[in-house]
Amino acid sequence: MKRRVRFDIWTFVLIAAWVILIALLIWPLSSVLHASLLDNDTGAFSLVHYFQIATVKAYQRAIGNTLLAGFGGMSGALILGVTLAFVTTRFHIFGRALIQTLAVVALVSPPFIGAYAWIVLFGASGVVRKGLDAIGISIPPLYGAAGVILVFAFKFFPHVFLITSGALASINRSVEEAAESLGVSPTKRLFTVTFPLILPAISASALLTFVLSIADFGTPRIIGRDFNVLATEAFNLYGSEVGGNPGMASALSVALIVLSMVIVFGQRWVLRKNVYHSNLIKKPERKRVGGLKAVGLHVLAYAIVLIGALPAIIVVLFSFRRTSGPVFQPGVSLQSYERVISTVSDPIWNTLIFSSTAVVAIVITGTLIGYLISRRPGIATGALDATLMVPYVVPGIVMGIAFITRFNEPPLALTGTGLIIVMAVFVRRLPYSARSVAAALKQVGPNLEDAAVSLGYSPSKAFVKVTVPLILPGIMAGALMSFVTAMNELSSSLVLYVGSTITMPVRIYLSVMDGEYGTASALSTILLAMTVIAVYAAFHLSGRKESALL
Amino acid sequence: MADLKIQGLAKSYKDVRVLESINLDIASGEFFTLLGPSGCGKTTLLRTIAGFQHQDRGEIIVKGERIDHKPAHKRDIGMVFQDYAIFPHLSVADNVAFGLKARSLPKGEIEARVNESLKMVRLDGYQDRLPGEMSGGQQQRIGLARAMAIRPTLLLMDEPLSNLDAKLRIELREDIRDIQRRLGITTIYVTHDQEEALAVSDRICVMNKGNVEQIGTPFEIYRKPLRRFAASFVGTMNFLPGQLEGGRLRVGSQSIDFPVDASGPVELAIRPENVELASTSPHGGTIALKGEVLKVTFLGREAHYTLRTEAGEIVAQVADPAQDFIEMEGRPVEVRLPLQKIALFRLNGDVLDAGQAR
Ligand SMILES: Nc1ncnc2c1ncn2[C@@H]1O[C@H](COP(=O)(O)OP(=O)(O)OP(=O)(O)O)[C@@H](O)[C@H]1O
Ligand SMILES: [Mg+2]
Repeated sequence: MKRRVRFDIWTFVLIAAWVILIALLIWPLSSVLHASLLDNDTGAFSLVHYFQIATVKAYQRAIGNTLLAGFGGMSGALILGVTLAFVTTRFHIFGRALIQTLAVVALVSPPFIGAYAWIVLFGASGVVRKGLDAIGISIPPLYGAAGVILVFAFKFFPHVFLITSGALASINRSVEEAAESLGVSPTKRLFTVTFPLILPAISASALLTFVLSIADFGTPRIIGRDFNVLATEAFNLYGSEVGGNPGMASALSVALIVLSMVIVFGQRWVLRKNVYHSNLIKKPERKRVGGLKAVGLHVLAYAIVLIGALPAIIVVLFSFRRTSGPVFQPGVSLQSYERVISTVSDPIWNTLIFSSTAVVAIVITGTLIGYLISRRPGIATGALDATLMVPYVVPGIVMGIAFITRFNEPPLALTGTGLIIVMAVFVRRLPYSARSVAAALKQVGPNLEDAAVSLGYSPSKAFVKVTVPLILPGIMAGALMSFVTAMNELSSSLVLYVGSTITMPVRIYLSVMDGEYGTASALSTILLAMTVIAVYAAFHLSGRKESALL
Repeated sequence: MADLKIQGLAKSYKDVRVLESINLDIASGEFFTLLGPSGCGKTTLLRTIAGFQHQDRGEIIVKGERIDHKPAHKRDIGMVFQDYAIFPHLSVADNVAFGLKARSLPKGEIEARVNESLKMVRLDGYQDRLPGEMSGGQQQRIGLARAMAIRPTLLLMDEPLSNLDAKLRIELREDIRDIQRRLGITTIYVTHDQEEALAVSDRICVMNKGNVEQIGTPFEIYRKPLRRFAASFVGTMNFLPGQLEGGRLRVGSQSIDFPVDASGPVELAIRPENVELASTSPHGGTIALKGEVLKVTFLGREAHYTLRTEAGEIVAQVADPAQDFIEMEGRPVEVRLPLQKIALFRLNGDVLDAGQAR
């Protein structure tokens, strides 16, 4: 006898999710695929671009470099993020709120100028490098592959930190205690019990950082020097007025997407058997340690977040330096702020309105989709999960161009509106929310929802009353990441903005391009302050006191 | 008040058959217990009845109406979960009030019922605690109170007392039984504790590997097992190999008149308390076997004798043992098996209708 298809609220959510993804992702991106299959000159169908990827040395090197940057950035971010998450959730660390704030600051390390700050510190004539040289320690300048990977590690570890600390904090304590009572040493337990239990969170953040690393073009562009990756190649081919090659650029974007899809399926394979549930009743406690061990743990935790936040700190410091034109002078001054103050109000409002609108939509949609992914496995949801990876990897500039191509004519003439910017941010950051909710759900046993249903709640009510409160940390973490990245969204807005819809990141980018590092620093500082205030306000309003972020 | 009928229910997980084809007919207000080894499908059966998962085949009928296609929350079936499923983010009182709020009862009524239910499970005064601050057994009792509070038409309890001490377990099972009777809630109860099953049930269903082995009153299950599995699973049972031939039953070197039509190898089953030792005088037909006392276990009210007989090892239970019996280890003894108390099982596990023998 065949099973009846049962229609409930989640069936409609599934359909709605697909409608959204088709309209805002697949349809626009189909223009990229289309362009990649056309010969630039004749406009005829051709595989010439893909043929070139397979044969031209530079592109092959770009693919190799992309993989290197991806795995390197991922490993670095994982080591830093998991370490920090473990230290802060399992040990009593003073200033946890400060550590979390610095992690968020690292997360929003402002676009472009962040990479610039690294150069200021560790470049060929970097301040720190020179300083160290003076006392006889010589380190190579921060260029090339190693530099890119290092910067990625410190730029992306907050993602890992936020995702895994939520998971670490909600392991059932009894499970770890059971391992201990079976004679497993604490270190061994970490690798045989704790990490496998949070594998969903670890692998989700691994995937995220991998994909962020391969899609980032700012860092390799400024720090990489001749370390070319697919994203920089694509950006150059799209961006340059002369010798632009939209077909080739599109083909490289498609290659990026395919590459990340492989990783997506890799993660799903790792997690194929992974359904652990704990009922969250006995939460792990923070251990108090003393002496040298305590000092070591504090040094470790603070070193990670301080280095991560370094670019932002540098930018804040530079914003108060005296400038003369584009050149920094010794001395302190509010010059840079005076210069931007009269023109800054529009971008501030635009940034706030666009990102909060996008985030509200992201949190609602993302939570529902995250639930589908982890609780209603099936072909349609599996495909949804995989498709949701695409926005991670499509470089923002590609997304922007795709949106312009598809939403240019009535009835969808949205070019130049704020809505198109919001839509681009929405679809690019939706995966954050969906994934972190899915990861949080992996740790909540489905029995709790069954219990609510048996007590007379409809599935949708049971979800709101029981599941949502339990996965709130996951929802908040996802919302936080969506929000800060939405406020700092540059690349897609750069393509989509017009005078009246300019945002702060775009404004900063334009200043950097004009060589006005002073005003760029001031604007970045304002954006940073806005981000931190917004994050705190959000968490304060949602009434989570003890810890602002987790 | 509701009767429950289950017909031809089957359920598989992927390609593993967990429920073969279950037929149950449970009367309104009945206290019906599922008894069976771990992994035999009890929880699966309850979850299917509750509607958390859908059966592959078969029908579930409550009050003459099929409920298979009703969503779980509309079935009004309460459940006590094997792993408690307590909401960790709600206080004890809110956990218990959870289902009452869904029924939009007036506030006063909710409070009264919460307090009543908590009193029933001996958790009065813990209203404002969070589940994380409660012991395992206390958490289990929250789940019990929560399910009882809504007074469902059908109540499913999956080992609701497994985590409690023996004394509390006996107290609570009596309370559950009283309330269940008073409210007339049709109840399906899962337990591993045979004494509990025998004590509280109207009827017991013995399950094995996704099949129903036998359904009957506690007396029938214990005294008149229809299947070898039920005989061996409930209580202690001795099994000895035997042979039926031409109206005679042979056990060991003994052969006795046994007027049944069947012939071939059988297994003779007898409860320890029915095994008689030589000192008692026989009444009616018995099988007398030569034996030797291997071990005596003194249990206070009774003693267990492990005996080696010519037909195999068996256990005898002697009530109110006297001093000299305890010193019998190693001595030869005559073991008598009263024909009235034995059951014979064919090799396929079916009982041989004992009525024919008497
Ligand atoms: N989700 C599942 N997927 C696959 N097999 C399952 C699943 N849940 C249970 N099983 C299997 O189904 C069988 C019956 O499980 P069930 O939980 O119903 O047993 P049970 O009778 O309640 O056992 P216990 O007394 O130990 O609770 C077991 O063999 C179990 O391994
Ligand atoms: Mg069970």
